[in-house]
Amino acid sequence: MAPRIQNQVVSNTLLPYLSSSSTSTCLPRLSTSSSQALAYSPRSSCRSFSSSVAPQTRQRREMFQWLSGPGARFKNHVPGETNYLTARKTPDGKLLRTSRPFIDNQQYRSEPILSVDLQNEIYDRVVKHKKSVRAVSVELDVDMRRVAAVVRLMELQKKMTDEGKSLALPYGRAIHEMLEKTEYEHGVGASRSHENINDLPSHRLTHPQIFYPVSESRQFNRVDAGRVFSGAPALEHEEVARNAVDPYAAVTRVTHKPSAIEMVGKGDEEHQVLQPADTRIPHPHLVAKERDSLNHPEETYANRKVYNERLRAEEKAQEDRRLKAEERRAKRMLRVQPEDSRFEFRIQDVVVSRETTGKNGRGAAAPGRRYGVPANDRKKGEVKIPTRVVV
Amino acid sequence: MVVRIRLSRFGNRHQPFYNIVVAQARSARDSKPLEVIGTFNPIPQRPTNLSEQEARRAKAYKEISLDRSRARYWLGVGAQPSDSVWKLMTLVRLPLLRRRLSISTTVTDDDCEIITTRLTHCC
Repeated sequence: MAPRIQNQVVSNTLLPYLSSSSTSTCLPRLSTSSSQALAYSPRSSCRSFSSSVAPQTRQRREMFQWLSGPGARFKNHVPGETNYLTARKTPDGKLLRTSRPFIDNQQYRSEPILSVDLQNEIYDRVVKHKKSVRAVSVELDVDMRRVAAVVRLMELQKKMTDEGKSLALPYGRAIHEMLEKTEYEHGVGASRSHENINDLPSHRLTHPQIFYPVSESRQFNRVDAGRVFSGAPALEHEEVARNAVDPYAAVTRVTHKPSAIEMVGKGDEEHQVLQPADTRIPHPHLVAKERDSLNHPEETYANRKVYNERLRAEEKAQEDRRLKAEERRAKRMLRVQPEDSRFEFRIQDVVVSRETTGKNGRGAAAPGRRYGVPANDRKKGEVKIPTRVVV
Repeated sequence: MVVRIRLSRFGNRHQPFYNIVVAQARSARDSKPLEVIGTFNPIPQRPTNLSEQEARRAKAYKEISLDRSRARYWLGVGAQPSDSVWKLMTLVRLPLLRRRLSISTTVTDDDCEIITTRLTHCC
């Protein structure tokens, strides 16, 4: 019986072209004619632990041909440029880099990331200069969520540095070298607008196509469209007139007090009336600013003053709302710390009544686990991770 | 028959969770009670979203939810809390609990304090 382990050179056959030495031992060099013959011969197997023959497939051969031929230029990246496969050579021999990473998906473009300088600038403005996330977002053209994320991550990084933990700096550097960046220079500003900061995801209520006839004499705007989508009756004429006189006041009535949004529907179907995009966008004051500068183009100073006042009012309203919510939560929650206990006890006030338990006693608003309702949490196919993102 | 305020165990293995229920004393622990007036989660929760200093000082917490007015009502009509529910109720500081204690066992207010602290000690 033949020995199961043959006396061949055992080497790393995985990723042969990534290390220079690995090509020398057993994998055929496709450029030389002798190894070409070797590639076709049945004895060319490098699988030392198997006695069966594993010839090169055509695709595998072509892959190595490409790796040593046209693909070789992607082996090392050029700092400051992308290294995507879609890069192509111009007739004069220069390599034209693109921002499209996928060959078969030409529509997809990789977006620029924030440079380290811009990240530091965001952090400084928010943490050191105590500017609001909203203001910094407008100043630097970076989404509010991204501004908040940058601040959180930089805090984390500082904490890790203080604790003496090592950071993956070479990795971060390599990524920054290979992606497009939005640069920032002190005194000059960002190299470009990083992203659209006033984008709005499409709302679920706007998905159905509704045929809604309107008389020509009537104005039909976004407010009306929102009401139609949410099945609410049309606004009173006086209110329409009031909104038309001062559109920003109509917006602030909602943004300063979201609880004042009208509700429609009954029971479980009850929902808020869909507000117009002017109200729902992250920075409604920017629209008002633009409107002011169009109406009074020469009063730049006054316009800016009004804009700043609006921004302050918006921030104050938001802060007030937060404090009130916290107060309300604290009121409903009693915290007890027994002196010699390791734990704190948080006692929440709940309501057991006909309204909460419902007629059959199974209402979801009542406290406690339910009786007679199967818990399906271990059932097959039950999805436990969140399936939708609330934006 | 005596009506008791007691705990009824829910949750899976190693994941206890209790409903605070009002039930007939001789009925089974997890049978359908007269009323569910709250919950008790005995597994300590770590507080989140804190600054570093706060996180260092913060204690883990146990969650209790209770409808105080219903608890007061049931105590008023003579429902007897079990030992463990008694411990929880002393934390909530239901006034009726103290009065009932002082009337039934004729203890002074100071004694009541001592009993209360001893009970919280056990928690």
